[in-house]
Amino acid sequence: MRLAADTGGTFTDLVVEDGDHVRAYKASTTPHDPAVGILAAIGLAAADAGRELGDFLGSIELFIHGTTRAINAILTNTTARTALLCTRGHPDMLLLREGGRTEPFDWSYGYPDPYIPRALTYEIPERIGSQGEVVQPLDEAATVAVLQRLAGDRVESIAVCLLWSIANPVHELALGELLDRHLPGIPYTLSHALNPTLREYRRASSAAIDASLKPLMTAYLDSLEGRLRDAGFAGRLLMVTSSGGVVDAAEMGAAPIHSINSGPAMAPIAGRHYAALDGNSENAVVADTGGTSYDVTLVRRGRIPVTRETWLGLEYEGHITGFPAVDVRSVGAGGGSIAWIDGGGLLHVGPQSAGADPGPVCYGRGGSEPTVTDACVVLGYIDPDYFLGGEMELDAAASRSAIAELIASPLRLDVHEAAAAIMAVATERMVQAIEEITVNQGVDPRSAVLVGGGGAAGLNAVAIARRLGSRRVVIPQAGAVLSARGALMSDLTSEFAAAVFTGSDGFDFERADAALDELRARCEDFAERNGSAEEAEIEFIAEARYRHQVWQLDVRLRDGRLGTAEHVANLVEDFHAVHEEVYAVRDERAVVEIVNLRARVTCPLRGGGKDTLVREHGHSSSGMRGVYFSGIGKVNAAILRLEAMAPGAQFAGPAIIESSFTTIVLNPGASAERTASGSLAVLPGALGASESGRRSSEAVG
Amino acid sequence: MSSGDSAREQPRDVVALAVMTNRMEGVVRKMTNTLFRTARSTVLNTARDFSCCIVTANHEMLVMAESLPIHVISGPDVISRWLRHFHPQPRRGQAFIHNSPYHGNSHAGDHCIVVPVIDDEGRQRATAIVKAHMADIGNSEPTTLMATARDVYEEGALIFPCVKIQENYEDVEDVVRMCMSRIRVPEDWYGDYIGMIGAARVGERELLKVGEEVGWDAFDRYVADWLDYSEERMRATIRELPAGTRTGYDIHDAVPLRGVEDGVPLKVTVAVDPESEEIEIDLRDNPDCLPCGLNLTESTAVTSSLIGVFNSIAEPVPRNTGSGRAVKVLLRENCVVGIPVHPASCSMATSGIAERLAGIVQRTLAEFADGLGMASTGPECPPAVAGLSGRDPRHENAPFVDMMILGNSGGAGHPHGDGWVTNGETSDGGSMMRDSTEVLELLRPIRVWSDRIVPDTEGAGRFRGAPSLYIEYGPVDTELEVLYAADGTVNPALGVRGGQSGALCRPAMRKADGEIVALEAWARVVLQPGETIISISSGGGGYGPPHERAVEHVLHDVADGWVSVERTREVYGVVLGEDGSVDAEATRVRRAELAATAHDSPAAGAEAAAEARAVHGRDDDAVLGLLSPGPQA
Repeated sequence: MRLAADTGGTFTDLVVEDGDHVRAYKASTTPHDPAVGILAAIGLAAADAGRELGDFLGSIELFIHGTTRAINAILTNTTARTALLCTRGHPDMLLLREGGRTEPFDWSYGYPDPYIPRALTYEIPERIGSQGEVVQPLDEAATVAVLQRLAGDRVESIAVCLLWSIANPVHELALGELLDRHLPGIPYTLSHALNPTLREYRRASSAAIDASLKPLMTAYLDSLEGRLRDAGFAGRLLMVTSSGGVVDAAEMGAAPIHSINSGPAMAPIAGRHYAALDGNSENAVVADTGGTSYDVTLVRRGRIPVTRETWLGLEYEGHITGFPAVDVRSVGAGGGSIAWIDGGGLLHVGPQSAGADPGPVCYGRGGSEPTVTDACVVLGYIDPDYFLGGEMELDAAASRSAIAELIASPLRLDVHEAAAAIMAVATERMVQAIEEITVNQGVDPRSAVLVGGGGAAGLNAVAIARRLGSRRVVIPQAGAVLSARGALMSDLTSEFAAAVFTGSDGFDFERADAALDELRARCEDFAERNGSAEEAEIEFIAEARYRHQVWQLDVRLRDGRLGTAEHVANLVEDFHAVHEEVYAVRDERAVVEIVNLRARVTCPLRGGGKDTLVREHGHSSSGMRGVYFSGIGKVNAAILRLEAMAPGAQFAGPAIIESSFTTIVLNPGASAERTASGSLAVLPGALGASESGRRSSEAVG
Repeated sequence: MSSGDSAREQPRDVVALAVMTNRMEGVVRKMTNTLFRTARSTVLNTARDFSCCIVTANHEMLVMAESLPIHVISGPDVISRWLRHFHPQPRRGQAFIHNSPYHGNSHAGDHCIVVPVIDDEGRQRATAIVKAHMADIGNSEPTTLMATARDVYEEGALIFPCVKIQENYEDVEDVVRMCMSRIRVPEDWYGDYIGMIGAARVGERELLKVGEEVGWDAFDRYVADWLDYSEERMRATIRELPAGTRTGYDIHDAVPLRGVEDGVPLKVTVAVDPESEEIEIDLRDNPDCLPCGLNLTESTAVTSSLIGVFNSIAEPVPRNTGSGRAVKVLLRENCVVGIPVHPASCSMATSGIAERLAGIVQRTLAEFADGLGMASTGPECPPAVAGLSGRDPRHENAPFVDMMILGNSGGAGHPHGDGWVTNGETSDGGSMMRDSTEVLELLRPIRVWSDRIVPDTEGAGRFRGAPSLYIEYGPVDTELEVLYAADGTVNPALGVRGGQSGALCRPAMRKADGEIVALEAWARVVLQPGETIISISSGGGGYGPPHERAVEHVLHDVADGWVSVERTREVYGVVLGEDGSVDAEATRVRRAELAATAHDSPAAGAEAAAEARAVHGRDDDAVLGLLSPGPQA
C-alpha cells in the first residue's frame, strides 16, 4: 500500500493507493504541528479500512509527502537568521538583483529588501575569473577573521556565493572547510554545489533561501519521520520536489529549497495521466483552481515543462529561487478572488482574495466584498445548501446584495448580468494565463485537452474551454486532491549537469562526449542505488543558443551522444527547429553554442494504481434548479450527482454536476460522459454567437 | 426583467473592455519575451533596453505593457503617421526599419521594426512596433550616445526614415547589406534584427487572430472605448488636483563644445486646470537646438513631460493616446526641448535632457501640494553605462561593441516612499534590467571588480532618494575602449519640498600603479590591462524635510549601512545611544533644531551644486578608492 499526503494551507489531502483502488481523504491542516493533521487523515483512512492505525501504517511501503512548510516559513518570516559570504566588492548581489519592474509608474510599493540584510553580509578577499582562473587567491587569515566576527552575530545558518564558483569551486570549497573548522554545527550552503548556474544573483539567492531553511526543515523532517515510525510506519519516506519528482527525506533535508514550490508541482503529473487516460491526448493544459490562485501548466507531448525562473512572490518584487521548477503559471484568480470597480468604472477580479478567512460574503464570516464564489451562488452554479457536500451552509442573499450594491449598481447591470460579468473577467484572466504558456511556446491551445483540478475548477472550465477553442475537458474524480494524486504517480528522479562550453564552428567532440559518459555513469549509479537499474530512463539535454545569445533553449539529444559530426549536425538542426517553434525565427547564419549538458534519470516508482471507479449507489439525478447563463438568461438545469453516475453515462447541458468536493457547470450546448476511471469527460461545444455578442434580449425568467 | 434594457443604456461594454485589455497586454508581453530571449547584445538580452507596442490604424498608441516609457508613450503614433505618408498602401508581409529622429523616433540609437497589420481584405488594422536600443548603429564613434556630436553628420548614424526591409516576409537584401556594411560587428546586429523581426511577427500573428476571433469592427469599438476610458481616468485625476500655474528650472551640465560650455538652462511652465480637466506643459521658452547631441526629439520632449506627470499622480492611469489627450505639451520647432530641425543631432535624446525635463515637471507638480509630484532622479549616464568596444583575446581577437548598463541607481523620493534603488533612468521607471557581472565577463573580456551602493549619497528627505552605485571595471588581457557621457557631475538631482539633493556623479579611473585620477564628464578612454574605470552614479533627490523621516526608516538605513551614524544625527535628527538605540529626548531636541532652520529645497544652479558637494562630503578624489581595493589588492 502507498500513501501520499499533501499538506496545504487549509486541508491536508491524503490519497491511499491499495492495489487498483485509489481513495481520497481530507483533514484540517494543523499549522502549529502539521504531523497531527497528517496522522488524523491517516486515521480516517485506517478507520475506513476498518483497521487500527498502527496496523494500517505498518502495511505502508511508501509514504510520499508534500508540504508548504518551507514556503510558509518564508512568507511568515520565521526562517533562520542567515549570513551571506560573498566575493569582495560584490556585497549587494541580493540588493541590486537584476533590476526590472512591471509597472513603471506604480510607486505604491517599496523597493524589496534583500533576502539577507547587508548587515549580515560579509566580503571575502578572493576572486576567480570567468575562465575559472584564480585571479586573487583566497586570503585565509583575513577570512578566518571574518568568520570570528560572524560568530558574534548570532548567525544560525550561512550561505556562500562567490563569483565564478561554477567555473572553479576551489574557493567555495576552501570556505566550506574553514566553516567546518571554525563554526562547527552551523549549517551552510555552497552555491556551486547547490545550484551551478550562471548569473550570480540567481545563485546567491538560491543559496540564501536554501541556507535559511536548513535548520527548520531538518527539524521538521526528523520530527515527522520519528512520529510516523513511532506510530508504526516502517516504509520509505519520500518528499515531493519543486521540479515534480520525489527524493528521500534525508536528501530534502540537505537541500530544502527543493521543497518550496512542491505544492503546485504534482497536479500536472496527475493531469498528464488523466489527459492520456480520459482525453486520449499527449497535450494537456492542467489547471488547478484554488481559493486564491489559478495555477496552469502545459503538458506537451507528455512532458512536464520546467522553468528556471521561479520567484517567491511576484516577479521583480520577490526573490528568485534560481531553480528549475515545474513551469506553473499562477494568476490571482480563484474562488475567493474579489471583484471590484476602479475609479474609472472598469471591473476587475483579483488579485486580492478573501482567502479562507473571512472568505466570500456567502460564508457569513464577515467578508463584505463579493468574490467569484459569490457570483457562482448568484448564478445558481453553487447550491448554497450543498457546499462541500452539505458541510457548510452558504448565505445566498448576502452574496446577492453584495454584488447588487458593489458591482451591479455602479455598472448599471442587473444582478445576474453583474455576476456573469465577474465570471467573464475571471475566465479571461485564466485564459490569458493559459495563452501565455501555450501561444508563447508556439502551441495552439486548441490542440490540448483541458484538465480541471482543484475545488473550483468545474465552475468555469467549460467557459474557459470555449474561449480557448478546446475540444475536450477532463475533470478527474480525484480532481479536488489532484496534487496528492500526482504525488503517487511521480517517479524518483535526479538530474546531473556538466558545464561544457563549445560551438558548432569548432566543436569539442571529445570533451562533450566524455561529459555525456560521465553523466550517464552518474545516472546509472543513482538508478543502481535505488534498485531500479533495469527500468531507469535517462534523458540527455543540451542547453543551446546562437552565439552571443545569453538565454538557452533545451534541446534533447536524439541518442545521447555528441562524438561525431553527424551528432552535432542533428543537434544544430534540432536547435534551429526549436528556436523557430518558440520564437518564430531561425538564424541559419549563426553559430550554435552549447553551454551545459544535463542528464535526467527517472526511476519509475509506480505500482498498480489504476484508477478504479468507486461508485456510490442511488440516483444520479437530484432534480432541477434555475441557473443563469450569460446571453441566454435563467434556464432550468438538471442537478446531477457525480459519484452516482454510471460509467459511459452521457449528459447534456444545461446541467450542474455536484460531488463532495466540487461542482461542475455544464453550459447549454455542452455534453459530458462519465469515463471508466471515474472522470468526467466534457465536450464544451462552440462559443455561441449569443455569448460572444452577449446580452441578447431573449432572457428568460 | 430583460437584461437587454440595461445593455441599451450602457454606453460601453465594460466586460469586453476588461477582457480585451488583458488580451492586448498579453500580445505585447509575447512580443517582449521573444526579443529578450533571442537578442545577441547585452543591451537587449540582459538590460532589456527595448519596447514593444501596438498602434491603431488611426495612429493612436493603444497598448505598451511592460515597455520603457521613454520609448513609447509618444513617438510610435508619430512613426505610424510617417509610415502612412511614405507608404500609403502597405501590404501584408512587409516590415520597415525606422530610426529617424526627425520622423517621430526617440533617437537614432533606437532601431524600430514597424509591421503593418493587414486584414484579409488588404486593409491596415493596426501596427506592431518593436523599438530596441542597438549596440551599434554605425556612428562615427563606437557608441550610440554621442553628446559631443555637433550634428547628425558628425554623429554618423545611418538614418532610416520608414525604409522597407521585408517584403512577403523575406528580407530586402539591399537594405540588410547596407547595414551589414556600416554597422560594427554586423553579425550581432543581424542577430538582434532577426529577434526584432520575430517579436514584431509574433505581434502581427496575435493581432490577426484577435481580428479573426472577435471581428475587426469589435476591435475598433474596443479601441475607441479603451482610449475614451483612459482619457476619462486621466481627466478624473486632474479634476482632483489644485489649480495653478508654476514654473520650474534645472540645468544640464556643460558639454565641452562651443555654445554649450555653460550648461543648458531649462525652464518649464506647468498649468493645472481642474475645471477643464487638463494639464498644459509649455516647453517653448528654452534655447534653440544646440550644436551637440543633447537635443530632444519631438517624441522624447512630449514623452518626458508626460513621464513627469505620470510619476506625479498616485492613481495609475493607462498610458496611451487617450490619457495623453488631457495633457497638452506645447513645443516649438528648432528648440532643444522641442521639434529638432535637420541636421541637429539628437543622439542623447532619451537620457540627458530628457531626464532633467521629467524631473522639472515632477518637482513643479510637487510644489502644488504635499502628496503630489516627485523629486528628481539621478542624472544619466555614469561611466558604467557606456559604449564598450575592443577585441576579445579569448575568441581570436574578434571585435565587439556593446552598451554596458550596470551602474545606475538614482531613484527619486516621492510622497509614498523612497527612491527605487535600481531605477536607472526616470525615462524607464526602473523597468530596465541590469547586467549580471558573470554574463558581462562571459561575453566581453572585462572584469567587474566592484558593484555596490555608496553610503551617505542619498538625497535626504522624509522619503529619501536612492544612493549612488560604485562600479569598478576594466579589461582582461586586452585594451578596452570606453565611451560615456555623464550628466550630474556639477548639477545634482534636486530634492523637493525641503528634500535634499543626491550626491554628484563621479567618473574616475585607477591606473595600473593604483593611483586614482578623476576623469572628465564626457570621455573616450582606452584602458590598458590593469587599469579600471571607477563609476559613481548620481544619488536621487529627496522628498520632504529629512527631519520628518519616520524614525524606524532611519534606523533601518543606519543598521543596514545605507547612512552613517553621524549623518543620521546631523541630517535626519535621529540621535543614537552607545548601544544603537534611539535617544528619544536628544532626537526631539535635534529634530526641533532642524525644523527651526528648515528651508526650501535649493533651486537649480550654483546653490544646489554647492549643497550637493557639501552635504555628501565626498569632495576628495582620494576617498574614491577606499570603497574597493581594486585589482591591485
